[in-house]
Amino acid sequence: MPEQLWFTKLLNQLFAGPITALLHALHIQPQYPQAPITNAVAMEVLVVGLLLLFFLVVRSRLSVESPGGIQHIFESFQGFIEGESQSIIGHGSEQFTPILAVLFLFILIGNLFGVVPGLESPTASPVVPLGLALFTFAYYQLQGLRHHGVKYLKQFLGPVWWLSPLMIPLEIISHLARLLSLTIRLYANMFAGDLVTLVFLSLIPIFIPVIFLGLHIFVALLQAYIFVLLAMVYLAGALAEEH
Amino acid sequence: MADDPQEPQKKNPWVQLGNYAQLAIVFPAATVIGWLIGSALDRWLHTTWLYIPGLLLGIVAGFVELVRTAMKDSS
Repeated sequence: MPEQLWFTKLLNQLFAGPITALLHALHIQPQYPQAPITNAVAMEVLVVGLLLLFFLVVRSRLSVESPGGIQHIFESFQGFIEGESQSIIGHGSEQFTPILAVLFLFILIGNLFGVVPGLESPTASPVVPLGLALFTFAYYQLQGLRHHGVKYLKQFLGPVWWLSPLMIPLEIISHLARLLSLTIRLYANMFAGDLVTLVFLSLIPIFIPVIFLGLHIFVALLQAYIFVLLAMVYLAGALAEEH
Repeated sequence: MADDPQEPQKKNPWVQLGNYAQLAIVFPAATVIGWLIGSALDRWLHTTWLYIPGLLLGIVAGFVELVRTAMKDSS
């Protein structure tokens, strides 16, 4: 049985039976039938729960006359994401603001879980960054297809028709490499951040770990920002009129 | 949508930071993806040599991506 966090234990106590039954119905054999929910999945559920709670609180306190502190923070955040996507994607970028903002908040809160005692970063497990990268990959390809129709596929053919037999595999590899690099960068940074903080915490338990905790928070913020920034760059590439 | 999405990107140093941070991983990632595709084709078609063209295509794809990003930023 793997080591479980308190929240994972709680979820497994409540839902292990139905989830194992569901996995069996899908012909998947869980490694631990008594505990099919892993720490990474439990932490993802916690992030989603926290985000829903945040949004419900903000929604219930929305006011035009006297906006509160939380409303100000969220409006500034929304303005920031909108400004960034406007500068990268250009006209029509407003439609992507909600999804990019949620992606940023999900990654940021997930990353910051690493500095909270009793929790761990879901993004320090490779499957979570892979899922996020797969979502981003599918989303920008679909938006490109939706915007250009079948003409979108022309960008995979390259600039000259006779080069297309070579360009098609090259473009496919380039796009798949984006998927892999999005995954590895987020995973490696968060995994290394967790490890460094843990090592220094066990070596020198006072003062020094504070520096590394600060560094961890900075890296968490930077990685969430870079992930969303690259999602915007890929969206801009998929929507550009040069195809 | 933006007619030339690269134009506003040049003005934002954070976007360049993101692009270059990505570039460092894209080259090895493209190489690994090419090798993986070649190996998968080897398994599927019961051959033993397709991983080599896969690997070479991956390396070329990595270089193409490097040159493309460098040219976008310098143009």
